Amino acid sequence: MTTETTAASTSADVRSTGERRPPDTREHLTDPVTGAVLRIQHEVLAAAREHLGAAHGCTEVLLPIIGPVTDPGARGAKQVDIDYYGHRYKLMTSAILYKQTVLTAVDRFFCIVPNVRLEPLETSNTSRHLAEFHQIDVELAEATREDAMAVVEGVVRHVVERVTRTCTAELNIVGRDVGTLAAAVAGPAFEHRSHAEAVSDLRRSGHPQSPDAEIDWQGEALISTGADQPFFLVDYPKGSRGFYDRESREHPGQLRNFDLIAPEGYGELCSGSERESDYRTIMARMRETGENPSKYRWYLDMVREGIPASAGFGIGLERLTRWVAGLDCVWQASAFPKVAGIVAP
Amino acid sequence: MTGILRAATFPEAAVRARARAGAAEVFPARDDYGHALYGADPSERPFDPLDAARLVPPVFMPERLEKLVDLGREPLHSDVDLGTDVGGFVAKVPAYVSAFGSTQVASDGLGVAVSQQAAELGIPLVVGENVASMNGYGRITPTSGRGLLDRIRAYANTVDDGVGGVVVQQSTEDADAEVWNLVYSDPGTLALLESGRLGFELKVGQGAKPGLGGITVVGRERAMDLAEQFTVEPVYGEDADHCMRYATPGTFTDEILRQQIRLMRNNFPRARVWIKLTPGRDIGAAARVAWAAGADSVTVDGAEGGSGWAPLAAMAGLGLPLAECLRRIGDPAGCLLVSGRIWEGLRAVKCLAVGARAVGLGRAALLAADEDPRRGLVRLVEAFELELRLLISALGKYTPAALSPEDVFAPHGTSAVDHATVRDSSATPASG
Repeated sequence: MTTETTAASTSADVRSTGERRPPDTREHLTDPVTGAVLRIQHEVLAAAREHLGAAHGCTEVLLPIIGPVTDPGARGAKQVDIDYYGHRYKLMTSAILYKQTVLTAVDRFFCIVPNVRLEPLETSNTSRHLAEFHQIDVELAEATREDAMAVVEGVVRHVVERVTRTCTAELNIVGRDVGTLAAAVAGPAFEHRSHAEAVSDLRRSGHPQSPDAEIDWQGEALISTGADQPFFLVDYPKGSRGFYDRESREHPGQLRNFDLIAPEGYGELCSGSERESDYRTIMARMRETGENPSKYRWYLDMVREGIPASAGFGIGLERLTRWVAGLDCVWQASAFPKVAGIVAP
Repeated sequence: MTGILRAATFPEAAVRARARAGAAEVFPARDDYGHALYGADPSERPFDPLDAARLVPPVFMPERLEKLVDLGREPLHSDVDLGTDVGGFVAKVPAYVSAFGSTQVASDGLGVAVSQQAAELGIPLVVGENVASMNGYGRITPTSGRGLLDRIRAYANTVDDGVGGVVVQQSTEDADAEVWNLVYSDPGTLALLESGRLGFELKVGQGAKPGLGGITVVGRERAMDLAEQFTVEPVYGEDADHCMRYATPGTFTDEILRQQIRLMRNNFPRARVWIKLTPGRDIGAAARVAWAAGADSVTVDGAEGGSGWAPLAAMAGLGLPLAECLRRIGDPAGCLLVSGRIWEGLRAVKCLAVGARAVGLGRAALLAADEDPRRGLVRLVEAFELELRLLISALGKYTPAALSPEDVFAPHGTSAVDHATVRDSSATPASG
């Protein structure tokens, strides 16, 4: 009954037939599209570093990739255990716990970090999930959600501006419509839509979106396809996210968080929020998210002694690259892609 | 007969007899036929209100008339349709195999034997909360056929298309092992997931030791391995070969339960969500919170339940009996599953009549598989099924869903199943 598969098709197949599986490693790496995409990704990273460092004064800090506990907030994805001198450690599914606590050392920072999430097999054909990927992580002490969204928007605008300026040849190789890409960031500030509005729109259009859950993948594709500019979805309901997204004091049950959704059907690029930093609240929220607090001892000890209030976000690097380069699948934005259930180096 | 199990507080001999002989055990011994005279035994005075209650067929049966018209002949017990939606799964009879965890009696191959037979019967199977953390999962490391995946595979390989389902339990302590994430992303469970036959049960508590977490006896060497995850105490002395391993029960409030259910629905949108509640005094409120938050099913394990190790004091006097749980829940707002010393049809039909959708077989399933690992549970359920048909048709009804509290008579002083009273007092809507 196994569905384990080995890589088979070519990048050309992807574009011509819609087949969504990565090809053999050599074939993928020697495809001119892959080389072009990796050069575009290099410019994406350079633009992000440039903007976060120069415009926002963020320090680049390198964070751990293993630890006794990791972000439990990934929906349905399995964490990877490793044997750390006889203790069960985890590969990071996200750096959230370190992002919050490192603010006791620096008050604005960013990092480019690898994450591993053994995603459900159903994600192997969503075009936008990888079991191993990277995030551009940012955390800002004493910031609000709106502060964080302004930084995200700045990063995305700067990335598109730099890539369209420096990667003309590469965008041509991958067949990206540069006009559409440039137009996506040419307009006014990105729109803010509430989760409740998105749910209501989707239900009106016949999509059975749960009001208590994240926008599902089909729903996200629907609202993304209808947009021509990136937009924010805000105010997700409690129960749809991890314990660290702060609950609104004015609107209990609503989280002070956001997703940035790309236009043209590319879906979510980034998630972020104001963070919960109060010890007692975090303890209750951990239970609400089904977590056993004893796993989080080091983090809770830090929180108990005091960590700064903050807001932050993580941009999926491969997803951002996919949108900028106009790729069919997110695995095309990785040199060595790992798609759920597919054995690959 | 493998005979490794003992169940002194359970009708063990009767369960084993059914596991051997099946439906024949629904009746008195055949050799006595034509010689013995029968009748109710007045010396049997059950202290359990459910056992004390009686099923009471009416004289006038308009529903039997409807069935007669429908069939064009007089209906029989064989015309009872036992097919039931059990927590989002199609079950051939209103029953499921309830969870028994890693406790040693369930570990020695019986877990897999029970899985196979539950699949053959087309009834849902709940796999206990700490099978993965104690026996392993069975993907990379070998588990000697005792792991979580072994049980799921045994079920999936046997079950007919379109019926049954596997429900994997997780408790607070298991969050360490991330059992649900693991199952949800495993190739071995994909067929069940894609056919809508995978569910997850949040274990809020259990009948045998409400308010406490899992307790097992483990060897000293194993205890060292588990010490990082569980509390291990040298109850038998510092130098003894065995220790007691305690899991935390987990902290719940109405908001914690509500949000955990929402998170389950968010993270595992294709899995059914079951909630197993402890027989607590606020069972009615807890069940209503669970249904309102979107649980596909609420399981109530009466204080009579439990296959696992528990303190004697807990078994003697901790938690509400099942009858009182049913009374406090009243008219259920969703699918209600119950367990607690259920092995035959009479107690089951009473539970169904006062609100349950299906009943769980726990110790009975283990004993039956212990009696005959190949066919014991199948025969036990065949007898159960015949009894259900006989009793439900006796009430002039032909589906479990048609049963109602009027089918049950609670003698004076045993008003625990007096459902009419409950309906009035439970009319308030779900909290929050």
